[in-house]
Amino acid sequence: MNQKAYYGNFGGQYVSESLMNVLAEVDAAFEEAIHDEAFLKQYHYYLRQYVGRETPLYFAERLSGKYGTKIYLKREDLNHTGAHKINNVLGQILLAKRMGKKKVIAETGAGQHGVATATGAALFDMECTVYMGEEDIKRQALNVMRMEMLGAKVVSVRSGSNTLKDATNEAIRTWAKTAEDTFYIIGSAVGPYPYPKMVKEFQSCISREAKKQILEAEGKLPEAVIACVGGGSNAIGMFADFLGETEVSLIGVEAAGKGIETGEHASAMALGAPGVLHGMRSYLLQDEDGNVQLAHSISAGLDYPGVGPEHAYLRDSGRAQYVAVTDAQAMDALMELCKLEGIIPAIESAHAIAYALQYAKDLAAREGAEAAKEKSMIVCLSGRGDKDVNTIADYLAGKGYLN
Amino acid sequence: MNRIEAKMQQLQQAGEKAFITYITAGLPDLEGTKELLKAQERAGCDAVELGIPFSDPAADGPVIQNASYRAICNGINLKNVFSAVEEVRREGLTLPIIFMMYYNTVLHYGVEAFVKKCRETGVDGLIIPDLPLEEQEELQSCLADSEDTILIQLVSPVSGERIPKILDRARGFVYCVSSMGVTGQGADFHKEVMTYLARVKELSKIPVMMGFGIRTAEDVRPMKDVIDGAIVGSHFIQLMEEHDYSIEAAETYCRTFKKELNEL
Repeated sequence: MNQKAYYGNFGGQYVSESLMNVLAEVDAAFEEAIHDEAFLKQYHYYLRQYVGRETPLYFAERLSGKYGTKIYLKREDLNHTGAHKINNVLGQILLAKRMGKKKVIAETGAGQHGVATATGAALFDMECTVYMGEEDIKRQALNVMRMEMLGAKVVSVRSGSNTLKDATNEAIRTWAKTAEDTFYIIGSAVGPYPYPKMVKEFQSCISREAKKQILEAEGKLPEAVIACVGGGSNAIGMFADFLGETEVSLIGVEAAGKGIETGEHASAMALGAPGVLHGMRSYLLQDEDGNVQLAHSISAGLDYPGVGPEHAYLRDSGRAQYVAVTDAQAMDALMELCKLEGIIPAIESAHAIAYALQYAKDLAAREGAEAAKEKSMIVCLSGRGDKDVNTIADYLAGKGYLN
Repeated sequence: MNRIEAKMQQLQQAGEKAFITYITAGLPDLEGTKELLKAQERAGCDAVELGIPFSDPAADGPVIQNASYRAICNGINLKNVFSAVEEVRREGLTLPIIFMMYYNTVLHYGVEAFVKKCRETGVDGLIIPDLPLEEQEELQSCLADSEDTILIQLVSPVSGERIPKILDRARGFVYCVSSMGVTGQGADFHKEVMTYLARVKELSKIPVMMGFGIRTAEDVRPMKDVIDGAIVGSHFIQLMEEHDYSIEAAETYCRTFKKELNEL
């Protein structure tokens, strides 16, 4: 067993033999790159000048007033392409270039990671192919068009359930065939080692900035840091610099879909059992035969049956806590943020907001209104909601949604 | 002695090449699978890979993906495949059976319980494409170097310096993947296939089998001196689909392949 590939009992490299040397090469190149001043300088240059970092840590005044505690929003929605995904894509694409690769491939569900990858590929003149389930292509026509405008080829995947997990399988298959000249850019904190490690590294700018910003604003650390979890990339980036600050509660919010009890949810931590998918061992939604179960969530970005291995470890070790929020709760929070703060969040991020509001109420009840007012929390607003307007309209019209 | 190892030894003594086929369990149904196994034994196959369907077969191309999907829709799972193996053994089948499966299916069943059940029902070998050398400890410690069930090792054209380490653990035969990527891409072998097979052959104490993309014995003519046999998967499934799982078609194909392979 390769111990460094594991987070406790989770992680590993469950891939075909053809990919084992590829993963070793990626790991060696990554370790070298992140210890190379020139690489870091280049990466941070693009984060600043192209992505628009650092992003604000915004004090949500009206929301805080209403819920009786200080709520800060880490504004990843203000990044170029509208979400945190670009942080990781730029890191991986610079690494791919450094390794001499000419082509990149990616999987995408809702299309956000696909758009971010297509963006990075255009910027660095790489050939880009994005694998997307046939069902998702129908649901996300706008993002398909964005990717194509950016010069990427979008491949429709027709196998299994025709959604994200199948697109990921197809990307893995293509990668196994073409790894000699192609780099696979994984969008979430999932996959075989070293991917979870790389994604964490490239997303950790979120917490590095946030920690500095909260200390400037409050002079002390927050009570809690809250982020939504599908595969868990924005959450691991939001947690990274707070992992050692044990007095800060770390809370990951999964999608409870129509309710955990209905079986139609995407909460791998709530009911999943350890399993192996997409090259990693982690919590996984499975049926009684060990086949992977489809996840359900109104938010396409949280609609994933597994979860990143470090989250599985943080859950079991007790360092982080994972909760779940239903579609309805997330949509209520989304509307509230629109009305109180003038921010339309992605439905994914609205899950984190929903739990934060609950947390604020509990805090006031537990510690009293006066004490609660002096405390703060940070919520990762991982993306903006423009992409979700059609889903939101259908939901508000009571039409349900295609999931 | 393990059935696969015994068979391989017997072939080596006779100077014959081995022929192995792959079928997805439960196609057209479990009774049909049992009949196919018997037909392959009659036709002179040396072992059969029996594919346990999984929802996310990331190492397989479209043919086996579709076969796997249909088998799941037919209600096929590890439990009923174990029952079918048990039955077909009771009916006298001695052909070595190798489960080709994904690791999640093993984990979900429970590694220890799975190994015990393999032993009881007569599963002789395991091929698990998403379980590379580094992740095998858990399973190997349950298999405990017994004679009942062995884990077959895979080697790829880009395994390079990993080859000696992999061979160190290998039993039965070593499965050389002919190309990068997934099963069933046609006879479009890796550009370095000859050098790589020769290297494995030189280092290996056990028979070297080649698989992925093989359709006829003729496909492996260029490699005949560096391999000890061939494995046919996707093409065989396709053939079965085209012939509506005809037992006769299966038998003819296997008999012809085996004969031609030994005449190369």
